[in-house]
Amino acid sequence: MGELKRIVPLRELTSVGFVVAIFLLVGMVNPNFLSAQNIMLCLNGSVVFIMLSVGIAFVIISGEIDVSVGATLGLAATVSATMIRDDMPWSLAVAAAVLVGLMVGLLNGVGVVAFKVPSIIMTLGTNGIVRGLCYVYSSGKWVENLPFGYKSLSQATLTGRPGSISWFFFATAVVTLLVYIYQTHTNRGRHFYAVGDNEGGATLIGIPVGRTRIIAFVLCGVFASLAGLMYVSRIGFVTPVAGMGYEMKAIAACVLGGVSLSGGIGSVIGAAMGAIIMASIGRILVFMQFSSNYDNTITGILLITIVVADALLQRRAAERARRTLLTAKTAITPEEGLP
Amino acid sequence: MKGWAKYLVRWEVFLLLLLLAEILVFGHLNPRFLRPRVLLGSINDFTSICVVSLFVTFVLVTGGMDIQAGAIVGLASIGMGLLWKDCGLDIWTAAAIAIVAGGLCGMLSGFFVAYTGVQPMVVTLGGSFLYSGIAIAVTHLSSTESYKGISGFPRAFTAFSKYRFWGIIPSQMFIFIALLVVSYIILHRTRYGRAVFLCGVNPAAAEFCGINTRRVIMSTYVLSGASAAVAGIILTSYLGTAKADFGKELTLPIITAVVLGGTSNLGGRGGVIGTALAALVIGVMRFGLSMNGVTTQYHDIPVGVLLIVAVGCRTFMDNPSLARLVRRGWLAKT
Amino acid sequence: MKRIIALTLVGIMTALTAAAGDITVVFVPKLTGNAFFESANDGAQAYAAKHGFTVKYDGSAEAAVANQVTVINNAIQQGMDAICVSSLDVTGLDDVMRSAMDAGLAVTTWDSDVSGDARTVMVSQGTPDILGKMLVDMGAKSLTSRGKDPKKDAIKYAWHYSQSTVTDQNSWQVAGEAYIRDNYPNWVNIAPSNYYSEQDAEKAISVGESVLTAHPDIDLIICNDSTALPGQCQAAQNLGKTAKDVTITGFAAPNSIKDYCRAGVIERWGLWDCQVQGALGCYLAYYLASGNTITVGDKIDVPEIGVVEVLPNTVLDPDAYTAPDSGVVLLPERTEFTKENMDKYNF
Repeated sequence: MGELKRIVPLRELTSVGFVVAIFLLVGMVNPNFLSAQNIMLCLNGSVVFIMLSVGIAFVIISGEIDVSVGATLGLAATVSATMIRDDMPWSLAVAAAVLVGLMVGLLNGVGVVAFKVPSIIMTLGTNGIVRGLCYVYSSGKWVENLPFGYKSLSQATLTGRPGSISWFFFATAVVTLLVYIYQTHTNRGRHFYAVGDNEGGATLIGIPVGRTRIIAFVLCGVFASLAGLMYVSRIGFVTPVAGMGYEMKAIAACVLGGVSLSGGIGSVIGAAMGAIIMASIGRILVFMQFSSNYDNTITGILLITIVVADALLQRRAAERARRTLLTAKTAITPEEGLP
Repeated sequence: MKGWAKYLVRWEVFLLLLLLAEILVFGHLNPRFLRPRVLLGSINDFTSICVVSLFVTFVLVTGGMDIQAGAIVGLASIGMGLLWKDCGLDIWTAAAIAIVAGGLCGMLSGFFVAYTGVQPMVVTLGGSFLYSGIAIAVTHLSSTESYKGISGFPRAFTAFSKYRFWGIIPSQMFIFIALLVVSYIILHRTRYGRAVFLCGVNPAAAEFCGINTRRVIMSTYVLSGASAAVAGIILTSYLGTAKADFGKELTLPIITAVVLGGTSNLGGRGGVIGTALAALVIGVMRFGLSMNGVTTQYHDIPVGVLLIVAVGCRTFMDNPSLARLVRRGWLAKT
Repeated sequence: MKRIIALTLVGIMTALTAAAGDITVVFVPKLTGNAFFESANDGAQAYAAKHGFTVKYDGSAEAAVANQVTVINNAIQQGMDAICVSSLDVTGLDDVMRSAMDAGLAVTTWDSDVSGDARTVMVSQGTPDILGKMLVDMGAKSLTSRGKDPKKDAIKYAWHYSQSTVTDQNSWQVAGEAYIRDNYPNWVNIAPSNYYSEQDAEKAISVGESVLTAHPDIDLIICNDSTALPGQCQAAQNLGKTAKDVTITGFAAPNSIKDYCRAGVIERWGLWDCQVQGALGCYLAYYLASGNTITVGDKIDVPEIGVVEVLPNTVLDPDAYTAPDSGVVLLPERTEFTKENMDKYNF
């Protein structure tokens, strides 16, 4: 257990380290990137991805996968934006969006747990259905001309001036921290890890495996719908393809942040860091001033490099932990000095 | 092992029945659908999904994931076009080089997956960016402007994918069947195929049996990369033009076909016959919906429903204890 | 089980099947869910309802040539009467369009063309040269109105649109660049390989914000894409910049930009009346399918829209296919939107 404790904070540190390292690296090429204003833009611009990644982290940590979050974001955004445009109370629009996320999450959860449909099939299916519903609901049209009031929510900042931390980012950060505390310091929260790490073991010690997984899917859906609400406010119009392909980016964000797709490992802080990287890649490319013809090439190299570097670092850390453990057990020489 | 084989046979029979049911239903609704030329001709529009999903099955059987195949389709297409137009190579040589290049692309990602233990989904996501990026970068080497695509291929090349035997059976169907036979033999009838399965079931055990699991895992990505290149060539011939962004829309359809075919993304279970049938089930379904007036943008809804209902029913049929569990009220205690 | 699926399918299909008219034109966009194509569809549907034919809007959510081929093949197999297509590729649809003509369908194109011998008539909003020049001119006008001298000043500018692989946006950019080189030699393109946001609204904003912070002294951003333009405007708004600090212009449907214009972020942008274009494309397809023929030089009286003349293909491209049975209709007129006139348009 002691080893585990030592590794976990290290894990978050590596993902924070990656973000800092990447930002510094880009800053070396173009100092403008490190201006306070731009860093704020990067952070404020990553709220949608952070929300998605935190939600999907619940599912991944409990050992499943969800590729329907992009479509869920799209449907929640379409539904809420339509209501806001038609001058319905915002609270109702928010409630409707959350309901969308809840229903999709519940459907996924029940399908996976009760009907034993593998989560990738289940969520591929709901992804198609929900995306289709976006078209049905909007008849394929953009939802535009939203009231300025709702759009300005995303621009409200803590200090009241443009170019500082937005309330959205603040709220996202607080939510992420709360989720982190919930997952690591409460019994209920630890269930997600237990289920993802060892399903059989979790069942044996009386953890409600099915219910935990359903809750993970529901939370994932709800977070996707919250991301949808932020998306509407940030963008100001909603297309029926809103969020298309975001599911892969959110999954990649989780992995960049050290969440293992085999379940039971990682944390939402890491996922959030990964989301900041994923959301900033497009910006980084502009600042690096490479030819845009190489955008995708560089994105690909960056992604592969980070995950490979991370995997190698992790493997070394695990090796070391194992060796310390071994030496402690055999007690030949007290090599406690090993980090 | 016996039980597993029985299970697989049952699922494939089910898919076959589903396919027949689709043909009957759609044929009933619109008799034109049943004309052999029309029905068989529809395969031309989803051969790429069929071809690539056969070999992506290998990857999933080892417990991997491949979402880069779509990007390799585009790279193969534009690469081949470039070799033909700007390097003056013979079109068939260019196609052969494209297949090798596709295999190499697969090998690179496969290397990272197999030798560094990185999550395959993310490596291949990176790969999908990388290869589509290279495809765009390569385009800029060409004398043709990138957005125009390369066209004007020799007639023999553009005609092979459109030829119909006896005026009815499209040549792409034969390509598909040939590749199905090849992939079936490799996966289900060779030592190598058994090694692929064993890597998915239990890599440690596979190592003990003297199988070089890393090399086997890597090789599955080589196969899927090469098959994506084949799809790129067929698409280039069929459309008569080579472009960097071909295939980018294929990622999810390919995975859908593989998993509907009964291959588990957790590895160790599945087969190419199921994949082939599933690809046909989905392709015929989309075509049938179109033939009956459903516009393309709504196709995802029935396909999604089909996916969930079919697989849900399968697990329900397979697992009588599950039905009992439901009766007992699983939500209370599971 | 099979019955359930069958019943569900039947239910879905009866719910979604379009009402049958005498002549059905399949109207194919590059992709669905894009404001431009949806507006064109609105125009076509309204027009068709008034004039007694049916328009079936059918396209894929993803802009892929192969998907367009599928849609057209399906239209042929269904026995539709005519197709009217905005092509994703200059040659990629040629074969399937020819086989549609062989199968007896009337074939027209609109917005983006295929080879001249693969369709009968094209409803064109103008050549790349006209549209590229228009983009640059709109930029120059706005620059002038905020006190710059486009002829003399070293204007720093960049292009921001969807992708380097899409056909027409790139052809406008190429033509616009050539026009800038000839007429405004002092201008400096800070990103010769352009900025791309892949029709992703979120990415359009993040790229837009980064362009403005990485190049704080940029004067002009041309966004010839209907997602990039609102995204770039939103980015400027997020940074507290207005039309006095940086000039943004481009092509987008008026409804998506009106708010930014009111807020003073953008002064002028343009588009052509895509509703008329969609309607005209479908009408000509209907006209052909009703047994009429079209030859170059014909003047066709289109109800509500007026008399249009069929010009030879060479007006678009001097090397184009010249046979009397294939021509171009140059309409609709392009419009520049400003604060004064934008409320007259609703699409």
